[in-house]
Amino acid sequence: MSRRLNPKILSSFLGVLLSIAFLSGCHRSWRGEHKLIIIGIDGMDPDLLTRFMREGKMPNFTKLAQQGSFKPLTTSIPPQSPVAWSNMITGLNSGGHGLFDFIHRDPKTMQLYFSASRVEGPKHAVHIGKWIIPVGGGSAEQLRRGKAFWEILDEHGIPNSVFRIPSNFPPVSAKGKTLSGMGTPDLRGTYGTFSFYTDDPTAEAGAVEGGQIIPVQVENSQVAANLIGPDNTFRKGSPPATERFVVSIDPLEPVARIAVQGHELVLREGEWSDWVKVEFQLIPFFGNVQGICRFYLKQAHPRFQLYVSPMNIDPADPSLPISTPASYSRALSDEDGEFYTQGIAEDTKALSDGVLNDGEFLQQSLTVLAEHRRIFDGEFPKFKKGVFFFYFSSLDLNSHMLWRFMDRSHPEYDAALASQYGPAIEEFYQQMDQILGQILPKLDEHTTLLVLSDHGFAPYRRSFNLNTWLLNNGYITRKAGVAADETEPLADVDWSKTRAYGLGLNGLYLNLRGREPEGIVASGAEADAVLREIRDKLLAIRDPDGNLPVITRVDFAGDVYRGPYTHDGPDALVGYNRGYRAGWKTILGAFPPEVLEDNANPWSGDHCMDYTLVPGVLLSNRAIAATSPALTDIAPTILAEFGISQPHVMMGQSVFLPGSEKH
Amino acid sequence: MFGSHKVKIEGELLDKAKQCADACGYSSVDEFVLHMLEKEINKVLPSDEGSAPSKEVVRKRLQGLGYIE
Repeated sequence: MSRRLNPKILSSFLGVLLSIAFLSGCHRSWRGEHKLIIIGIDGMDPDLLTRFMREGKMPNFTKLAQQGSFKPLTTSIPPQSPVAWSNMITGLNSGGHGLFDFIHRDPKTMQLYFSASRVEGPKHAVHIGKWIIPVGGGSAEQLRRGKAFWEILDEHGIPNSVFRIPSNFPPVSAKGKTLSGMGTPDLRGTYGTFSFYTDDPTAEAGAVEGGQIIPVQVENSQVAANLIGPDNTFRKGSPPATERFVVSIDPLEPVARIAVQGHELVLREGEWSDWVKVEFQLIPFFGNVQGICRFYLKQAHPRFQLYVSPMNIDPADPSLPISTPASYSRALSDEDGEFYTQGIAEDTKALSDGVLNDGEFLQQSLTVLAEHRRIFDGEFPKFKKGVFFFYFSSLDLNSHMLWRFMDRSHPEYDAALASQYGPAIEEFYQQMDQILGQILPKLDEHTTLLVLSDHGFAPYRRSFNLNTWLLNNGYITRKAGVAADETEPLADVDWSKTRAYGLGLNGLYLNLRGREPEGIVASGAEADAVLREIRDKLLAIRDPDGNLPVITRVDFAGDVYRGPYTHDGPDALVGYNRGYRAGWKTILGAFPPEVLEDNANPWSGDHCMDYTLVPGVLLSNRAIAATSPALTDIAPTILAEFGISQPHVMMGQSVFLPGSEKH
Repeated sequence: MFGSHKVKIEGELLDKAKQCADACGYSSVDEFVLHMLEKEINKVLPSDEGSAPSKEVVRKRLQGLGYIE
């Protein structure tokens, strides 16, 4: 028997449904006039901000704090940017969003990877002679879990724009304009690889940290060399794609002319070029990919020295998704010019490697900030309703690199350089104040402003080598007579006699039976006992140099995390005292000889410590009622501003409500 | 890269999946299902080490983050 619906009844029924849907939409207390502006300033420190405000150097922040509120903002455990911003984005902590550290490990293989995203080339291919034709393209996958606040805003029809927020590469599907930030790779799939061309015979050719030194010869005042692009997966062995460029050096003046793919530019010594587009041909007639780079002529004579920035994804023709809508990055580049698309644009490694000096690094950092401000200046006036989020990276990266100039106790403090670059961090803070000065006049009774940072900052003077300590204390056993492979984490570890190991900046893992391939520690009481024993010993460590405690807290994942991923990361989080951090080598599972050593790297400030020692900041034009606001309160705050009930999985609550103390 | 595949979950199973996702703190049923699949696949299949980039390549990629030498 067939049944048919009466069209009139059906029509009436649909009408009722539509009315309900419409009314429920109206019922949400989204006030069309309401606006929320969020300025995310990575690494803004409450103590430094207070000091600069007291000294009268931050008039707009002072005004905002006086007319509204200024409170420390509890950061994430651990206080690392991908984790912290994920807390802010989702209202969850690591147990809910699955990011625990910059660096994660696959417990089955001990392979390390960047926690927030994975970029892979095509896995299937057809081989024809020297060519390999990939079947399908490469992929980029975001590894952060949980729902971003702007996804929920989209569901409720609240307009929003989110610029350069970390931990959003590739950007999640969104109705508004988003541009990916920290976590976005360069064209080579790395998080920044510069090139440095020189004829200096004393320069060690080859790969250095975050870059490559390329020896060249100057013949008849000319240098011919290759720009290095992405690995060419179309060719056997996937060699990097390259493009020729020629430099003609003026024999008398410190000037050079650079010719690349029809572009010609002339640089004086100490001068940076604008962005230059470079097209890499991967397979004739079919496959090419476009990047952008900047040249810096460090020296023309007597030695030739040319720095080339990491090859960035061209926003006008992106080879990987970096914005929503996909066309948005092109629109931005059309309006505001080309810009750094790599997530961490400040070239800290070029400074650490000595390729750029302090002044050159500072110039490059200022350019990055100028680009961000140009985009802000273009986009902020377009904001009319809903939510506008904009992220600035400058305080974080410059505090990392320039802290030593304002810290007389730092091993890398240099009085002469300090007199020159000492005010640099303060000047970056003042630029943030100028930006705030552009926003404050636009505030009205319908607009809420939040200015926040993901964490604060502290000196990084001494390194603690966790794996060396675990080795010395019998928690790790190394295989006898096996030469350690420095490139492989924990390569020579005898897992049958190892109970715990360190990986990442704050991660302490047990060698757990059933999780690690050769795990020996049983889950439950035994695991708890080992963790407690290690914690107690770590908390008792004093640095012989100054007798300070090195580690001030150790948190267990099961105690501090909430959500389905709680046990996917480290079993414990090591919280270092101010002045201390995990050593450079221990992060990747190596065993430097000393447990404690001076940090001799220009990277002299840090925050990967005890989270209670490096809170961020939260300022608003409204009264913040929460006694101890936390990053996990921000997503609930955003939703509450538009009358949206927060999902029950979210940990915090609106900062404009009293109470709340979450991580 | 490998295309996509949709699985239809309905009726009681969907209802229970929703309850589980909710109880465990997942942000959606999709996220719950994907996480369960990943866990089971990790238990059953050998690791994908052969097709993964070499450790040196991974190290080079990570160095640009600034936090490692």
